[in-house]
Formats: sequence, structure tokens, C-alpha cells
Amino acid sequence: MISLAAKTVTKVFGGLTALSEVSIEVRPGEIHGLIGPNGSGKTTLLNALSGYYLADAGRVTLGEADLTRDSVQRRAFAGVARTFQKPRLLPTLSVIDNVMLGGWPAVRSTFFGTALSWLRARREERTLRARAEELLHGVGLAQVMTRRASLLEHAEQRFAEIARGLMASPRFLLLDEPAGGLTPHEIEQLGVVIRTVRDAGIGVLLVEHHTDFVFRLSDRVTALDLGRVIRQGTPAEVRHDAEVIRVYLGA
Amino acid sequence: MRASRAVVMVGGLLALATMPWWARDQYQLHLAALIGVYWILIAGLNLIVGYSGQLSIGHVGLLAIGAYAFAILTGRYEWSPWIALMASGGIGALCGLLLGLPSLRLPGFYFAMATLAFALIVTEISLAQGDLTGGGTGLSVPGFTAPFDTPGGFHALILSVAALITWLTWNVARFMWGRALIAVRDSVVTAQAVGVPVFRAKLLVFVFSGLTAGVAGALFASLQSYITPDTFVFELGLFFFVCIIIGGRGTIVGPLIGTAVLTALPEIVAPLARWSTFFYGLLLLAVVLLVPEGIGHVVEIVRARWKPRSLQSFAVTPDAARLARCLRADPER
Repeated sequence: MISLAAKTVTKVFGGLTALSEVSIEVRPGEIHGLIGPNGSGKTTLLNALSGYYLADAGRVTLGEADLTRDSVQRRAFAGVARTFQKPRLLPTLSVIDNVMLGGWPAVRSTFFGTALSWLRARREERTLRARAEELLHGVGLAQVMTRRASLLEHAEQRFAEIARGLMASPRFLLLDEPAGGLTPHEIEQLGVVIRTVRDAGIGVLLVEHHTDFVFRLSDRVTALDLGRVIRQGTPAEVRHDAEVIRVYLGA
Repeated sequence: MRASRAVVMVGGLLALATMPWWARDQYQLHLAALIGVYWILIAGLNLIVGYSGQLSIGHVGLLAIGAYAFAILTGRYEWSPWIALMASGGIGALCGLLLGLPSLRLPGFYFAMATLAFALIVTEISLAQGDLTGGGTGLSVPGFTAPFDTPGGFHALILSVAALITWLTWNVARFMWGRALIAVRDSVVTAQAVGVPVFRAKLLVFVFSGLTAGVAGALFASLQSYITPDTFVFELGLFFFVCIIIGGRGTIVGPLIGTAVLTALPEIVAPLARWSTFFYGLLLLAVVLLVPEGIGHVVEIVRARWKPRSLQSFAVTPDAARLARCLRADPER
């Protein structure tokens, strides 16, 4: 079993310790919820896992492989995909082009091979387009496939980003507040998508403020406060933990 | 829509190819050849400016290097012009690599300044190395061998090379590399997230644009038949850049139109020849103010204004079964 793990990861910004010896393990085929108050280090941890921040101490591993010093790109190739708190689609491209971009790790054509339109480039293009179409049907965006991404509504952008993340057949999908700005109905649909992804054997890290949603969906939950792990366990254990209630959930 | 575009393209290509027979005078033919030569450079530069979003204003330096390489190799060392043409492309690519390696890590305007400095240095070197380049007096450049030694034949050669380069850039633009370059332009964070090697992608495109600039330089030198450092003024580098900005980013046909219009502008406004710089400025201002997306996007803009597509809103309804099938069919798992 290949897990994505942070092992006693510390990250310091100036004088502020954003993460202090945080350990977390996301297993394949599980939804791992990550909760905590603002500034507790949730997004910092996600950035440390996906490579946008390099850990000052501790290690990030994928199974046996050590990713600690690897760039974002190498982690993408290793099978770690992510979405962003504020969706980052390319505004001038169509939705399907944006999703296809996520298939970059599968591209073997060289720049000059592509320029010469070698058979492989055209074949890859066809394969990626077919997969992107399937994924867009799967997440429910078939109707806006050819629309410019800048014209999408907020929820559509969220789902398109998830489709882009799934394009490269990742082992792990890290979601940064995917439910932010969605209506209750859309959150339900998001839950359907995330569960389907989990059931396909992909490990999901769910960073979220929406605690009901996290506890309902997750197999395991980690609670952070001030850059430290205060509790890790099943949703029921974390929800009833006295410390978690004190710092985050309230009485 | 697709068929009409193909008709326009084939018609335009035919009109250009038959130009030696219907052009009114040699000057028109020369002008068409000049547009072709500029376009060979701009087509490559378009991948840098219009797709990757890197503001190079110094490609005139690479043009000069290609031109001098061709003039020296054919004139002084008496190489075959065909070998020299390819060598010019190679030298252009190599100089693109040497310029790109240190400068492509610089952000926005600093990169533009580096390319500007490069163009100025090339001019100075061509002045200083008089033994090789003829200094301020310049060099005369041999033409190509028959049947490309006539204006009509040379026109055909330039048209063929331009068509080939356009096809190459079109392939880059429409496949995955095109998406990757636009990601580099619009969001480096996104490019990283999907695994695009940002610096390497920029460098590859820059080397490619060096190659097209070198080839363009060789053809340019042969077309002008005499080159001096004054031929490669900095304004020319800015001109290439402006052709792309007027044409629009992320399109190929826009910069092509921009190149043709701006190169032919002095001819179009011939009765007011002394005003041609004024019209150049006026056109630039008009495009920037009225269609900042560039003339390559005019059709979409007009269409969007006259026939606003109703952006029908609908509820996002995932199809879990289909998604599951798609994820299970993953080759890697």
C-alpha cells in the first residue's frame, strides 16, 4: 500500500512557525479530512505535500519514495494532484482544454516532435481529448465543455479543476476547500464526486472549513491548531475530542 | 465555419503563390517577400510573446546574427547558400539558447530589458568586428542559386519557408505544448501543478524562435542584397513585438495579419508617405484602445457583441457511474 505522508514536517515563515512537527498519512482509497481554525496551517500542510513549500525539517514520502526535496512538477508526475482554494483555470482556454492540460504527465511527445506533428502527438491528443470528455461527463460539466473558462460560474470552476486534477490518473488528490462558495445542493454533488474518486482507489486529502461536510464524508480526520496536530482519528473521535471542541468547534 | 476558413487559407496561399504573375511591379513583389521574411521571424516570436507571455523586444539581434552569418559564410567562405541558410538557423538557435539560459528566469520587464541589451550588443559587435562584418560600411550578400535567383523564384522560396514555419508553430499551438505554454503565460502556479517544466518549456520555445529568426535573417540578408549595422536598428525589434500585440495573443492568424498590415503600411499610405510613422502610431493606439485583445480576435468579439450566446445556467449533476468507469479505466492502476 502506497501512502502519501508528511513525517514530522516543520515549516517556518520568518519568526512564525506555520507547521510544527506535523505528521499525517493519506492512504489510498480513503478520504482524509483536515480541519482547524484559520491560520492553523491546513493550506500550508497541503502546500508542503504538493511541493509549493519545501519543508524546513521532516520528510514527505510517497510509499518508499522520498519527495521532500522534489519540485511541484515532479510530485505531479509521481501522482500527486491538487486543486486550489481559488480555482486557477486558464481564462482564455475552453473548459475541455483546461482539463486536457491536466494530462500533461502522460505526454511523451517532445516539443520538436509536436511541431512536426508526428503521429504520436496526434495520437496523444486524441486519447487525452477522449478522456477529458469522459471526465467532464463524469463530473457533470458536459454542457459547458467548449465554453471559455472565464465564463464559468463558481461551482463549475470547482468541478472543472477536480476534472483537471483527475486527468493524469493521480494516486492522490489534494482538495483545498472545495466546498467554499458552493450551495448546499452543489456540496451534495461534490460529495458524490469525492466518494467516487475515493472508491476508485485514489487517496483524497480534504482541507475544509465546512466541518459537517468533512465529518460526513471522511474516513479519518486530522485536526490542526497553531501548526500542531491536536487530534487524529475517526470522525466520531475527533468530533467529540475536548481539545478540538475547545479550539475549533465550540461548545 | 471550418470549410470557409480553409477556403480563405487556400485562396490566400494561391494568391500569394501566383503573385509574380499579377504583381504590378517589382516593388510589390519585394514587399511581399519582406512580409514573408518578417513573418518567418514573427511566427517563432509569437510562440514566445503571444503564447508563453515572455516580452522579447530584442529578436532583431537574432535576425542580425542570422543575416551576418549568412553573408559571411556565403560571401567570405563561399559556402553554398543552402548550407549557409541552415547554418544561420542553427547559429540563431544556439544564440537563442545562450541568451535564453540566463535571461528567461527574469520576470516580465527585466527579461524585456535583457533582450533589449542583447540587441544593442549585437549591433555594437557588428560595428566593432569590421574585419568580419565590414563594420559601418557593411557587406554585400550573394543571392541563391537558380531557379531561386530571380525575384519571382526567391519569392517562391520565402513563401515555402514561411508556410513550413507557420505549419510548425500551428502544430505546437494546437497540441498539448500550446496549452502548456498558455499555462506558463497565464498562471505559473497552474503550470507547475499539472507538471509543466516552466523554465525548460520557455527555453525550448526560445531556441525555436532563435532558429526561425536565424533563417529569417539569412533570407532577409539575401533579399536586401546589402546589410549594414543600420539595417538592424532597435526599432525593428520593437516593430516585431508590436506586430504580435496588434495581432493579438494566443492566435497565429492575428500576428500574421499584423505583420502584413504594418509592413505594407508605408505602401498603403503612399500618397502620405511622410506620415507613415504617424499612421503606425495611430493604428497601434486604435488597436490598444478599441480591441485590446488584438485584431486576431475581432471576429469573436464582434460575434459575441451581435449575437450574445445565452450563458444558460444549469445545475452541475455528476454522473458517478461514468466517472467511476473513467477512473477505473486508468492505464496506470
